[in-house]
Amino acid sequence: MNPQTGAALAAEEAAIYAYGIIGVHLSGKGDIAEARAAEQAHRGRRDYLVGRLDTLKASAAASPAGYELPFAVTDRESALKLAIQIEDGVAQAWRPVLPVTTGNDRGTALAAMTEAAVRATRWRRLAEVSPATLPFPGRAG
Amino acid sequence: MVLTGAVLMSVTGHSRRRVLAGAAGLSVASLAGCGFFDDDPELPEAPDALQPLLDEALALAAAYDRAVVTEPGLATRLTPLADDHRAHAAELARLIGATLPSTSGSSAASAGAVSASAAAGAETVATLRAAEQAAQKTAVAACKAAPAERAALVGSIAASRATHAEALR
Repeated sequence: MNPQTGAALAAEEAAIYAYGIIGVHLSGKGDIAEARAAEQAHRGRRDYLVGRLDTLKASAAASPAGYELPFAVTDRESALKLAIQIEDGVAQAWRPVLPVTTGNDRGTALAAMTEAAVRATRWRRLAEVSPATLPFPGRAG
Repeated sequence: MVLTGAVLMSVTGHSRRRVLAGAAGLSVASLAGCGFFDDDPELPEAPDALQPLLDEALALAAAYDRAVVTEPGLATRLTPLADDHRAHAAELARLIGATLPSTSGSSAASAGAVSASAAAGAETVATLRAAEQAAQKTAVAACKAAPAERAALVGSIAASRATHAEALR
């Protein structure tokens, strides 16, 4: 378990937490389905990473007991904004895993980064944010 | 990540001469300028393993440009995607030490990298989407095969192409 993989795990756990709050502020069928699917995907990635930890007999850094949201989430607009930020952040957390992995592990990291980037694009479209894409998903800035 | 950016930049200077075996797209065009080596057929430098990815980025940007000419109403939607591809091409060119063709001549030169349907001049959202999906596969394979110092950039390009396909749904 390298620090990059540990950071990816922390980002997935933060995403699961955030979707709990995002879900509360969404009411449209499409929005809710999207948020549920995203949360499930993040749980899947979290479980994969925890499994890797088990295999490598490493221990994960304890997750913080609570998370501080970057801004108050009070309505659909702020919920979508947080969803975009969360997915961008997950992509950013997986990108540094690419250089420190090879083979299937790199393939999994790339899939996780790509899916987060695609969800960020879906949220941008739902929030009518333009452009809906980034030139370099996973690169901070 | 700031750190990643710094590492990539430092790597750029060292990887210009990197030549990887198995580069698929040994194109005639890239060798045309190598008349210098004609006397010694053993020596022509193989194209960089990322050259096909660069050609594809330019071809996709050109395909979007043609689509916008045909249907100006699509400009708002398609121009940012073309810009993404040009940003990819610029980064790849910097990384492998290639010179980008001037914008005006690029479409004909690089059209071969995209599927025939997308290059035929009748781009629609559906053909562009199919081309993005094919290009994503190229980039995923390139990312898996890349040395560590190139994996992050190529991975981001693969992810970007996937988001383009999503944006065109």
